[in-house]
Amino acid sequence: MEIELNHFLIVSLLLFVIGFFGVLARRNLLIILMSIELMLNAVNLSFVSFSQFYNLLSAQVAAFFVMTISAAEAGVGLALIVLISRRWTQMDLFVLEDSKYTDPV
Amino acid sequence: MDFLFILFSALALYGAVITVTHKDMVICALHLAGSMLALAGLFFILGAHFIAGVQVLVYAGAVMVLFIMVVMLFDLKRKKETLFSKGLWMKLASLFFLSGLIVGIFPFSLHLFPPRSMETIQKTSTKDLSSLLFIDYVLAFEVLGILLLLIAVGVAVLCRQRPFLQTPSEKE
Repeated sequence: MEIELNHFLIVSLLLFVIGFFGVLARRNLLIILMSIELMLNAVNLSFVSFSQFYNLLSAQVAAFFVMTISAAEAGVGLALIVLISRRWTQMDLFVLEDSKYTDPV
Repeated sequence: MDFLFILFSALALYGAVITVTHKDMVICALHLAGSMLALAGLFFILGAHFIAGVQVLVYAGAVMVLFIMVVMLFDLKRKKETLFSKGLWMKLASLFFLSGLIVGIFPFSLHLFPPRSMETIQKTSTKDLSSLLFIDYVLAFEVLGILLLLIAVGVAVLCRQRPFLQTPSEKE
């Protein structure tokens, strides 16, 4: 069996779906953020494989930009998680929709 | 090359599955780092050496340090959430629909992109990539620099102590 473009795309699809399942199924905010990082990385893998197989170098520039944006997003997301868990003393997603906790102080 | 591809993709998928399903956040973060490193290996066998190096530096270096630091800020002995603790039926339903997504996209993609072997990969150098990045896309690059500055300032502003963000014990 020879490795070709579709194999990379299949790995990318599987990684994306695993990350998507993590966003849907977990309630821990930190793990949801990790799953978002997984999905961004899966898209990056498909970008780079298209770039190499079709000789489109600008797709690698797009992958580079995606990496920068996702690092920035992780910074903001982690700051928000620190604030949320300091205010509500836990890292569960569903403290945010419980009206008992959300009254402004 | 086949062996390396199978090794790295299996490592990446294994790390991703453990990241999503494990209940301990430290183990999740470490498996995420392993998954990112395996993806860097995949970039390397694709021939994108610059992107592979940036992947190791940015994800396995910077982002992972951020995650581990945030995990360290909190009490780890608290009751941990497992994947099957609450809302099991909704999780099974989402798993069902996502597997449908895989089964739906998979044959479609085989028709959409005709097979290309690894021999069609032309050797791209970092020099070509840098000339593209610093000449054609230089405006986007500079805007990204401004965005990172804004992020740094915004996070510093967010994490300042403010009255409505204190814990109930701190207010008394």
